[in-house]
Amino acid sequence: MIERTVYRTIDRIGDPALRRAAESLARLVLENWFYALVVLVLWQFPAIVADLSGSEVTPRRPTGESAFWQSEMARALVLACLAMSYNLLFGYNGIISFGHALFFGAGGYITFILLARVDQSYQQEALIAVLAVVLALAILTRITARRLVTLALGGVLLVLLLVPNTPGMTFYQAAALAVLGSIGLSLISGVVTLRLRGIYFTMFTLALAEMFFVLAKSGTFRNVTGAEDGLGFGDLLPAALNPTPTGDGSRLQMYRVTIVFFVIVFLAIRRYLNSPVGRVIVAIRENEERARTIGYNTFFYKLLTMIFAGVIATLSGVLFVIWATDKRVHPEMLSLKFTVDPLLHTLIGGVGTLTGPVVAALGLILGETYLRNETFTLETEVLGLVPLWQFAVGLIAALLILFLRRTLRPAIHRLAGDGGRWSVLGAYLALWIVVSAAGLVAGGQVVPDLDLQDEVFDVSDLWDLFLGIVFVIVVMLLPHGIVGTWNRFWITRRIRRMERALQREKAP
Amino acid sequence: MSEQMHLLEGRGLTKEFGGLVAVSGVDIRVRQGDLHSIIGPNGAGKTTLFNLLTGNLPPTRGQVLFKGQDITGEPLYRRVHLGIGRSFQITNIFPNLTVLENVRLAAQAMGGDSAKFWWHFRRFKQYEVAALDAIAQVGLGDKVGIPARILPHGDQRKLELAILLASDAELLLLDEPTAGMATEQVPVLIETIQRIQQATHKTIMLVEHNMNVVMNISDRITVMHQGEVLAEGTPQEITRNETVQKAYLGELYGDFAEMMGGEAP
Amino acid sequence: MQTYWTNLTPQHRRSWLLVVVYVALLLAISWLDFGYNTAGQTVFRGILLGMLVFLVASGLSLIFGLLDVLNFAQGAFLLIGAYVGYDIYHSLDASVEVRFLAAIGGGVLLVAAIGAVMEAGLIRPLYERPIFQIVLTFGLAAIFLDFVERIYGRNPKQPLSPPPLLNEKFTLFQQSLSVYRLFIIGLGLAMMIGVYILLNRTRIGIIIRAGVQDPEMVQALGINVRRVFTLVFILGSALAALGGIALVPYQGATLEMGNQFLILAIVVVVIGGMGSYEGTAVASIVVGLTRAVAEQLSLEHFDAPVLAETSILLLMIAVLLVQPSGLFGRGE
Repeated sequence: MIERTVYRTIDRIGDPALRRAAESLARLVLENWFYALVVLVLWQFPAIVADLSGSEVTPRRPTGESAFWQSEMARALVLACLAMSYNLLFGYNGIISFGHALFFGAGGYITFILLARVDQSYQQEALIAVLAVVLALAILTRITARRLVTLALGGVLLVLLLVPNTPGMTFYQAAALAVLGSIGLSLISGVVTLRLRGIYFTMFTLALAEMFFVLAKSGTFRNVTGAEDGLGFGDLLPAALNPTPTGDGSRLQMYRVTIVFFVIVFLAIRRYLNSPVGRVIVAIRENEERARTIGYNTFFYKLLTMIFAGVIATLSGVLFVIWATDKRVHPEMLSLKFTVDPLLHTLIGGVGTLTGPVVAALGLILGETYLRNETFTLETEVLGLVPLWQFAVGLIAALLILFLRRTLRPAIHRLAGDGGRWSVLGAYLALWIVVSAAGLVAGGQVVPDLDLQDEVFDVSDLWDLFLGIVFVIVVMLLPHGIVGTWNRFWITRRIRRMERALQREKAP
Repeated sequence: MSEQMHLLEGRGLTKEFGGLVAVSGVDIRVRQGDLHSIIGPNGAGKTTLFNLLTGNLPPTRGQVLFKGQDITGEPLYRRVHLGIGRSFQITNIFPNLTVLENVRLAAQAMGGDSAKFWWHFRRFKQYEVAALDAIAQVGLGDKVGIPARILPHGDQRKLELAILLASDAELLLLDEPTAGMATEQVPVLIETIQRIQQATHKTIMLVEHNMNVVMNISDRITVMHQGEVLAEGTPQEITRNETVQKAYLGELYGDFAEMMGGEAP
Repeated sequence: MQTYWTNLTPQHRRSWLLVVVYVALLLAISWLDFGYNTAGQTVFRGILLGMLVFLVASGLSLIFGLLDVLNFAQGAFLLIGAYVGYDIYHSLDASVEVRFLAAIGGGVLLVAAIGAVMEAGLIRPLYERPIFQIVLTFGLAAIFLDFVERIYGRNPKQPLSPPPLLNEKFTLFQQSLSVYRLFIIGLGLAMMIGVYILLNRTRIGIIIRAGVQDPEMVQALGINVRRVFTLVFILGSALAALGGIALVPYQGATLEMGNQFLILAIVVVVIGGMGSYEGTAVASIVVGLTRAVAEQLSLEHFDAPVLAETSILLLMIAVLLVQPSGLFGRGE
C-alpha cells in the first residue's frame, strides 16, 4: 500500500537522473526499514533494560540487569551468526555437515592459543615456509610465472602483517590467522569430503569434528589446550574488546561491536546469496546434476560456500570466547552441541530463509535465559484431577486404534452395521472405551497408587526436554519452520494465482 | 571422409555396468550443421550413448572427439564451455526457480562472472537479456516469472530447450525432447527445433523413440539396437535399408514395429 | 565359498583383502608389542566389544538399508533397554535366572513397542522428507535420554550379577574371567548368524533384502513394504535393547553408554558400508579389535589415552578415503 504510493509519487518526478536516485533510495528504505528498526532496538536495548529494571547501563561491577542482558543478548547474537552460517550450508546449498562446530571451535582455539602460548617470534620460520610452498609449487606444478610472483608477494606481505618479529602477537593478528586457518581447514576437508555422497559426507564431517573435540579434551596436549579445564587467557584481550564491566563503558562498547559484527554478517550473507554465486548454489541445492550439465563446476561453488560459512563460524567462535564469563576457551566449543544448536535454530526458524535462524536462535537462547531461574509447581489437586497414568492409558489406546485403523476397519464396519458415519464413530468410541478400561484394570494392577504430592519443577531442568518436544512438533507439523511457513503462506498464494492463470489460458 | 567437418565423433565407445554391456563399440560421427537423429527401441543404449558423449558417464572403453580434439577425460562442466549442451529424457530443471532464473543460470554459466560473490547478480544484465531472448525463441515469453515446477509438461520441455539455447552451445544433444508429451503437442515442439536449427545453424543431435517424428527433419539417422549401431544413413537410406526393413516387419525384433510407428505384429 | 568369491565385485574383493591384511597387522603388532598373553587378552576384549557394537550397529544398518533413515535413537534404545532391564531385575521377587530372563524379555519387548510406535507414528509420515527423519530421530534420542535421566536419576547403576551359571570364572591367557563374557560373545555370534539366516533363508528376509535393493519394485510385487519397514524397525530397536541389557551385568548402566555405543555403531556402519549386513559384521570385529589394541598401545606407551579415543575415528576417515562408500557398500 505505502509502497505503491511511494513509487507512484516517484514516477511523477520529471528529471530522469533524480528519479533514478529517488527510486534506488526508496527501494533501499522500503526493503530494509524493518531490519533497520530491529538494529535500532538492539542498539538501544541496554538502555531499555536499564530503564525497565532501574539498573545502570555501565555499572562499575558485573552486576545489574542491564549488564547481564547485554552479555546474554551478545551471546545470542553470536550464536545467531553461527546459525546463519549453518543455514547457508544446509538451507541454501543443501550440504548437511555435522562438523560445523569444528570451525566455531577453531576460531576460539587458534586465536587464543596463538595469543596465550606464542612467546617468541616465528616471522623467519613463516617466511621460509611461504617461500618453500612457492618453490614447491614452481617445481611440482605448471603454474605461470606471473601467478607465482603474485603468490609469493602476497604470502610475504601476509606474513609481515600477521606474524610480528617481536615475541607474541596482537589479538587482531591472532584472529586474522584464525580466519586463515579456517580457510585452510575448509580447503583441506572440503577437497577430501565433498566427493563423498550423502550420508557418508555427513558422517565424515562428524568424525572429523569429534576427533578435534577429543584432541582438545585430551590430557596429552594439556600445555597447549588446557585439556578439560579449557584454555584461560586472563586479560590478554585488547581494552577495546574487553566486555568485563569496569564502569568505563567497555562492556557497552563490546556489545555494540557485537551488533556491528552481526549486521555485517547478515549483510554479507544476504549479498552472497544475491550474487551470481548465490544463485548457483541454490541451483545446486535444487538439482546438482543439472547445474553441472549447464556448465557449473559444482565442486568449486560448494567449496566456496564451505569456506565462507567456515569463516563466519570462526569469527563467531572468537566473539563467543570474548563473551565467556570465565575467560576460558572450553573444549565444548568443538562438541556436537555447537553443530546441533545451529541445526535446530535453522530447522525451527526455517530452512533456507534469511531471518529464520536469527529468530529461532534469539528466541530460544534468550527464552532459556529468561526462564532459567523460574520454577513452577504442579499442585496435588491438579495431579489428583487428572491421574496421569489413566490419562496415558486412554491416550495410548486412542493411538493404538488410530494406527491399527486399517486392520480394524472390517471389524468396525461389521460392528457398526449399515448405520453410516455416526455409528462407525460410535463403534470406534466403544472400542476405545473397552481398550481403555482393559488398560486401566491392567494398569491398576501394576500401578496400584500414585504417590500424589506437590511436584516442584525447575525450568532449567526441563529445558532440554521442552526443546526436544518443540523440535519434534516443528519437524512434524511445521516442516518449513517459523519464518519459512510465514513466507510460504504468501508465496503459495501467489503461485496459486499463477496456476489459476495458467489453467484459464489452457481452457479456451 | 565426407566434405563436411565432423563436429563430434565417438570411437569404439563401450559402457559396461557390472556385467551388463549397455553400449558396445559404437562409432558415430556427427557432421557440422546436421540434424542427426539416433533411433532405436527402449534399452537400445541411446541415452547411455548420450551420457558418454556429454560426460555424464565415463566410458569403459573408447574415445570422444569434439572438433577433432580428444575430450574423453574432460569433466562434464568443461564440455559445456567447449560448446556441447544437452537436455534430458526426463524433465530435468530447477523446479523451484522461475523460468527466467532457470534460463538465466544457463546464460550466466557461459560468462566469466559466476564466481563474483561480492556483486549483486542484477549487475550482470547481459545474462538476463540473453535468457529473455532464448525464452522468447521457444515461445515462453509470457511465463518468465512462473516457478518451473507449475508449468505444464509441454512448456517444461520448451524450457529445457530454452536452457540449451541460452548456453549458446554449438552442438545440442536432445534426449527424447518429446518424451511424455501429448500427441498433438509433438509437432509443435519438433517445428520449434527445426526452426531453431534453420535460424542458428546449430548442429543438433536428437534421440527419438518414434521414427516418424524425425523422418522429415533429420539429415542423418543412426539406428541402434542392443547397444550396437544397426544402420546409419540419410532417412531415405534408412527406410530402404534391408536390416531395418526386416526389423520393421518384425522378423528380427518384435519391438521394432512400435518404434517405426506401427502396431506390434 | 568359491562362488561367493567369484560373485563379489572387484571393489568388495579388494575390501576383503584390506580387512584381512589390516587384522593380521593388528594381531602381529599386539603379539610383538605386548607379548603372547597380553595380546590374547587384548584380542579377546576386542572381540567382546565388537560383538556388543554389532548388536547396536546391525539394527542401525538394517534400518538404514531398508528405510534410508539413519536412526540416531538407536543409542537411546540401548539405554532404555539397559535401564528397564535393570529395573525389572531389581523389582521382581524370584530366582536370579528368572529375573535375568525377565529383564531381557521385558527390556526387549518394551523397546520393540517404542520402536513400533515411533516408526508408525513419527517416521512414516516423513518418508517424503528424508533429512527430517534423521533430524527427528536425533531429537527423539535427546527426549529419550532426558526421560531415562528423569526416571532413573543421574547416578550410574552397579553391574547386576548374572545367573550363577554365567558368573563362574575361567582362565584365558592367564587372566581369570567371568563366563558372562563368553555369554556376550555367544549372544553376539548367535544374533549374527540368526539375522543372517533370517535375511537369507526366510521369505521375509528375502523381501527385506529385495527391499534394500529396490523398495518400489517390492511394492509393485504386491507386498506391503510399509509393514516390512515397521518390522525391520522393530527388529533393529530390539537388537539395540538386547545389547543394552547384555551390557548391564558387564559394566553396569550409565547415561553416557547410549551415545558411546551410538558413535561406535555409526562408525561401524559407515566403515562396513551403509545397508550391507556382511559389512556391518566384519566392521564390528575390526572396530572392536582396533579399539582394544589402541587402548592397550596407549596404556603401554603413552601417558594419555589420545590414541585410544581417536583410533576409531581415524580408522573411519582412512576407510572413507580409500573406499568412499564404505568397505562393502553399494558403489556409485
